[in-house]
Amino acid sequence: MRRLGPLCALLLVSALGACATPQTSRILAEGGGLPRQAEVPDVPFYPQEQYYCGPAALAMVMTWSGEPVTQDDLVAEVYTPSRQGTFRNDMVAAARRRGRLAVQVGDVRSLLAEIAAGNPVVVFQNLALEWFPRWHYAVAVGYDLEQREIVLRSGTDARLVVDLYAFERTWGRGDYWGLVVLPPERLPATADERSVLDAAAALERTGRHRESGGAYTAILARWGDSFPAWMGLGNTLYARKDFSGAAHAFREATRRQPQAPAAWNNLAYALAAQGRHDDAKRAAEEAVRLAPESAHTYRDTLRDLSGPRP
Amino acid sequence: MTFQKMSRVLALPMALVLFLEVGPLPVAHAALVSTEQVIQEGAAAENRARVMSFLAREDVRSEMEALGINPAEAAARTQALSDEEIARIANKLDATAVGGDAIAVIVGAILLLFIILLVTDLLCLTKVFPFTRCPSK
Repeated sequence: MRRLGPLCALLLVSALGACATPQTSRILAEGGGLPRQAEVPDVPFYPQEQYYCGPAALAMVMTWSGEPVTQDDLVAEVYTPSRQGTFRNDMVAAARRRGRLAVQVGDVRSLLAEIAAGNPVVVFQNLALEWFPRWHYAVAVGYDLEQREIVLRSGTDARLVVDLYAFERTWGRGDYWGLVVLPPERLPATADERSVLDAAAALERTGRHRESGGAYTAILARWGDSFPAWMGLGNTLYARKDFSGAAHAFREATRRQPQAPAAWNNLAYALAAQGRHDDAKRAAEEAVRLAPESAHTYRDTLRDLSGPRP
Repeated sequence: MTFQKMSRVLALPMALVLFLEVGPLPVAHAALVSTEQVIQEGAAAENRARVMSFLAREDVRSEMEALGINPAEAAARTQALSDEEIARIANKLDATAVGGDAIAVIVGAILLLFIILLVTDLLCLTKVFPFTRCPSK
């Protein structure tokens, strides 16, 4: 049994050798449409205290994004003492609870593109091995394709320069999990419409209506016909009691998808809140007409809005 | 063990599994439709369109015919699947680069889903297919 040890190690090394870094190789070969080098200026550095790599990494990007916090501020929200570490979901949730737009990044090209666009990225790494993990959070702030390097704020290193191949292996063992944390009205450079919508809606669910409204507005600046973004904007304005703004947004939503009963339903509420009861009733009727079979909600809306009023 | 006994033994765990998969129905009440609901519905419609257009592809149709599946019937049955089941198939479409082998994998996954639903239909736990009848009734 004792003799198996070195053999295992040998097998492992060859397995690691075989585990290539296809993403980095492709980017180095083809350029990936990226600037050859980039570095985000002004990302503060908080040297990590014992086990607090999660809080430290998040505090750096939060502060960079215009929401100054220290790692100690975040410990209660993201650190799990029994595991001496930080779960990824808790990082996302903490950023949203403080009104930031948090969107995941999941491949090397997107990671570098975010840095090139001026957005630092929290990266989740396994610095050791699959079966003997050492989990770690760092902040990727720069790269240089010529030198094949990535620059991290990591642990107690303010500017740790790591070989890009080595980085991809450690990041790949962390499932290529990366997170951009941004002011809500600034969208990630690489994210698709669906993931920013999800991030904005999650922000809305935490009750951050002003911030999520800013995010929906930014989404509409990039994807002007986004039906969910018009709906989200309407919902956040309604929650902030800007009923005419909400009605305008829901009206825009009905223009994008005239067949969607949800838009007419919400428009009815926004109109009713302004005292425009006849218009509200017509919108509610339209919702019921469009979805007669699944019309529980919509029928209730119509009944509510047609009922006796003061 | 007779089939009836077996179905009685299996019924509860199967029902539990189904319940957990589908989850409790949302309670309907008059309110604004939330943004999250809107996003989910949009994603569901998109998934359905993607799966249907996948099934309509020429190479996929010929693969199905090779497996003895009538493509038109497969499309009709797929329409009958719930949003969640469609999402599972769409995920498979995402996860696999759709080459020759992948087509067989995905067609196989769709087929497996049909078979599971067929069995649950026959146990009277679901009623997805028009041609199934509960044997005990």
